[in-house]
Amino acid sequence: MENNHVTKLLPEYLDNTLSKEDKEKVRKHIADCIQCKLEHDEMNILFKAFENEPISVPTESLTAKFDKALQQEKMETSKVIPISSEKKKIGWASNMLKVAASIALLVASFQMGRFLQQEKSNEDIAILLDETLQVKQTAMLSLMENQSASKRIQGVNYIEEFPNPDEAIVKALANRLLHDENDNVRLNAFEALSRFATSPTVKQAFIEALDIEKNPSIQIAIIQSLVKIQEKKAAAPMKKLLEQEDTQPFVRNEIELALPKII
Amino acid sequence: MEELSDEIVMQKVAAGNLDLLKVLFDRHHRHVYNFLYKMSGDKMLSEDLTQDVFYKIIKYRSSYKNGSFVAWLFTIARNDLKTHFTRVHKNHEDIDAVDYKKVENQEDRSEEHSHLQNALNKLDATDRELVILNRFQEIRYNELAEITGSTPGAIKTRMSRALKKLKRIYLENI
Repeated sequence: MENNHVTKLLPEYLDNTLSKEDKEKVRKHIADCIQCKLEHDEMNILFKAFENEPISVPTESLTAKFDKALQQEKMETSKVIPISSEKKKIGWASNMLKVAASIALLVASFQMGRFLQQEKSNEDIAILLDETLQVKQTAMLSLMENQSASKRIQGVNYIEEFPNPDEAIVKALANRLLHDENDNVRLNAFEALSRFATSPTVKQAFIEALDIEKNPSIQIAIIQSLVKIQEKKAAAPMKKLLEQEDTQPFVRNEIELALPKII
Repeated sequence: MEELSDEIVMQKVAAGNLDLLKVLFDRHHRHVYNFLYKMSGDKMLSEDLTQDVFYKIIKYRSSYKNGSFVAWLFTIARNDLKTHFTRVHKNHEDIDAVDYKKVENQEDRSEEHSHLQNALNKLDATDRELVILNRFQEIRYNELAEITGSTPGAIKTRMSRALKKLKRIYLENI
């Protein structure tokens, strides 16, 4: 292509897409150059032909088919549940929660285990204590039946181990108080029982003992104990003692002092 | 919707708003159809291929990479046409040659084509493609370069030559 000719620029010139300078250049050149003028005119004819070329239109079914395909695609995509993006956002917080929850679970189960263990050992200790008490009771009851007076005293003194002695022990002690041949054993039994003077069994035992007791020191102790608990039923055996001839004078004296306090 | 560019609309489609594809279809399906028709001279085939091009856009919408939408659209259309011709002609000749022959055969059969169309059919397939895309579908040099994998400068030169050649053929047979 010749240097000065503008054939290369002609399409753009006709399309009116050239810059102002280029456009001016082409316009001037065409005015002078016959060759390029011809080229321009011919190209113009061709471009006119392009403009006049009928544009064919696709049938309606193309649009319909496209719509159908689009609807189908929408149906298929709506079935897909997007999870990727949201999952990342909550990841951090939920992980922390998970860690916290597992720590809490660990601590809770540890504490629970400890508590259960403690409860079990408490139970064991309670059973053991119960067992020792039973052993002691058996020992106490058997000691009280011993031939030796000192052993019997030892058995009676076991009462201190029982804060709440059961009926069997109280009965055994009352038995000692009423029927033991040894004064010391009776006195010890009385002392042991006096701690539970409010019990009806004990009261009954005291009243009975007052009836049959010959030892003046025990008699006086019983009288004082009965006065202390204000036992009305004791009045009768006391009066009986007053009437008896073999009653010691100081015992008599004690009863005379005690009777008005009861009645 | 009308004021949004093709690219923005397509981005929305790629993000999941499928309904907007209808907008793009309405804007461009005639251009695609006309390009295919001018290239193949076969109305039924052009319609089928146009449909296929838009199916592909529905299917591969997420692979759209923010370039010129028109360039992307005609790249798909071009490839569809090539694939079609390679499939029809089992013998594996050069694609462009196959394309060219196909149109030539049709020219003999049907006299309904315009004089310009006949002149176009005498061009190389590659030149014809450029001229059709540029003249009828108003595709600019930048996008043509994108579609054909060339540079705007090279396209400009090739276009100028192709138009000159076409002009000669057109005026010869007038």
